[in-house]
Amino acid sequence: MSEGPGRLLLGPQRPTHNLAEAIVDAGLPEGKMATISAGWQEAENDIDDLREIVGRPLVDLGIYNRADEVFRADEDLARRYRSRQDRLKEQQRLYRLRLKQLAIAARQTIRAEGDPELIAAEQRHAIAQLRALDRHHLHRTESLQKPFGDAFNTGNNELLARHHREIGEIINGCSAVMITGGNIMVLLNRMRLFGVQRLLASKYLVAWSAGAMVLAERIVLFHDRTPQGRRDAEVFGAGFGLIPGCIFLPDAAHRLREGERSRIELMSRRFSPDECITLDNGTALEFAGDTLLKTGTARRLTDDGRIVRLKVA
Amino acid sequence: MNPSLRRLFRKGAPDTAQIDAFIQNSDFPLVDGSDVTFVYRGPAESVNLRCWISGLDTAQPFQPLSDTDLWAATIDLPRGSRIEYKFEVVANGQHHLILDPLNDVLARDPFGANSVCQGHGYERPGWTFESEEARTGDVETVRVDSRAFRESREVQIYIPARFRRNRQYSVLFVHDGVDYLNFASLKTVLDNLIHALEIPQMIVALTQSPDRLREYAGDDRHASFLAEDLLPALSEKYPLIDSPGARGVMGASFGGVASLHAAWRFPGLFGNLLLQSGSYAFSDIGRHQRGPVFDPVVRFMNEFREYPGIPAERIYMSCGIYESLIYENRSLVPQLQAQGIELRFEEVRDAHNWENWRDRLRNGLSWLYPGPLWMVYE
Repeated sequence: MSEGPGRLLLGPQRPTHNLAEAIVDAGLPEGKMATISAGWQEAENDIDDLREIVGRPLVDLGIYNRADEVFRADEDLARRYRSRQDRLKEQQRLYRLRLKQLAIAARQTIRAEGDPELIAAEQRHAIAQLRALDRHHLHRTESLQKPFGDAFNTGNNELLARHHREIGEIINGCSAVMITGGNIMVLLNRMRLFGVQRLLASKYLVAWSAGAMVLAERIVLFHDRTPQGRRDAEVFGAGFGLIPGCIFLPDAAHRLREGERSRIELMSRRFSPDECITLDNGTALEFAGDTLLKTGTARRLTDDGRIVRLKVA
Repeated sequence: MNPSLRRLFRKGAPDTAQIDAFIQNSDFPLVDGSDVTFVYRGPAESVNLRCWISGLDTAQPFQPLSDTDLWAATIDLPRGSRIEYKFEVVANGQHHLILDPLNDVLARDPFGANSVCQGHGYERPGWTFESEEARTGDVETVRVDSRAFRESREVQIYIPARFRRNRQYSVLFVHDGVDYLNFASLKTVLDNLIHALEIPQMIVALTQSPDRLREYAGDDRHASFLAEDLLPALSEKYPLIDSPGARGVMGASFGGVASLHAAWRFPGLFGNLLLQSGSYAFSDIGRHQRGPVFDPVVRFMNEFREYPGIPAERIYMSCGIYESLIYENRSLVPQLQAQGIELRFEEVRDAHNWENWRDRLRNGLSWLYPGPLWMVYE
């Protein structure tokens, strides 16, 4: 018997949506839902379509706009917040510099031909180097976040503290929390600013795309079809760890080049033991706590470079 | 002979009705792999294909097709090529330069229009067409008092959709900016690339010189206008990111020279350059052969080649391989790379024209100003 609050994860809700059916199928508890759409940035409040789709009361947490209000009222806090962002971006840039070379080397060893034993040893070592770099980057981003996070969340800013309280009260009064897709950096940072992650553990969560990514332990950015071509997947930072052991890859059917098996293989092996799970349009993935209940059309990346249907263990 | 024409002449010279039907049912010019056949119909003493492509004869003669009023000329055009052309028709001793009457595809520029031949494999990029989904930005006019030119000048400013004063924006200065709007669909391209998250929302200043051959030819006044008049004026009016990496200059042909010159005159100010088919004429020894209008360009380029410095951290360059300027552009690449500049150079099967420059915008802009696509998971 599985235990823990439900988590319903979906793929992109455009061009078609499966939110309404998925909520019914999952037996979402009745009642109001709090909505977090900070990833939509200035379009945060445009949730009328969601109200219509969901067919139940939605309470917009408005954390993107709340953050703007806080920044306008406290220039020092805004400056520190921006400074933290600049440092995190710089950290990401430095990580990317190192990642590029290691990823090229790892892919070349995966494609190498010759003595299998020699190649396998070099592959393992090349991937281990990548994993070490990912770990280091994760540690660095957390180190850069922590002092700011502590400062922001002490409640010594009256307005910030009021928003913390209000958000807490709203979430406590709702049966579920819905987190939309959008800009992952904006979503993650604004949720952290108001300490929202601490309020989610006991709640039923419905999330899609970026909203699902923030629930994992690690957030991995990926896109093989940018105007400049393929990019190596990057660890962006720690998520909220509410669904351990998974890395979520929204819209993978579009963003990943499925036929390029060496890239898929590298991604799978690099992030192992976490499972790289695709969340494509139409997917509905259900968890009870951290136990997987239903997989819908979700797929997973394999260590031999394929993308196969995800099955419940 | 082109297979369609061969079929038309299979049983001897076709009659008027057969020619009418052939013209009605064919797309011109006739593209058969790399063989492209241009067709003209009408009375003439001679007909020439004029396409001003470096590497081809400037006038390619048409051949009359037996016992008809049809003329044809075939050239070899490699896959993915795009060229602009006109027909030179000689009738009654008079030379007439005309658009291809059988081809509706035109490219416009400040001097008029040319017919366009899209070779086998060329396809106009989808992002150059207006899209119903993309929100459109606005273009507004700003008047700037210029100390450099001792006069007030109007500049068109592209403001992205969803512009908000409490955000900060990158800025790009575009030489011949109004021409870019009119002939290279720049506004549509910006709207589409911003909508697709491939570039960030940004402010784009569209300058249009009243005397471009002089002011864009390595003129210090123009560099000062950009750096000391226009940039401060825009920084006061719009929330711009105060960082070289968020500032860039762009231009084509002489506009490419002006962009490079401005960045060179004010090193460290502009982090990005987008240079298209720059007219980087220089002379290693003796006098250059390009005419007096290039004199100041050559003076600047010779000095630049001697003391290049680091005009920008990142430079995107493109040039058509059917341009005579391909030599000068290729020559510049290793020199910029030797300075440690991050440089991307793209050669394409196209010539010195606005549609070539339009088709390169996505690669250049999205490389210099990567958008939030990487961060957005809808």
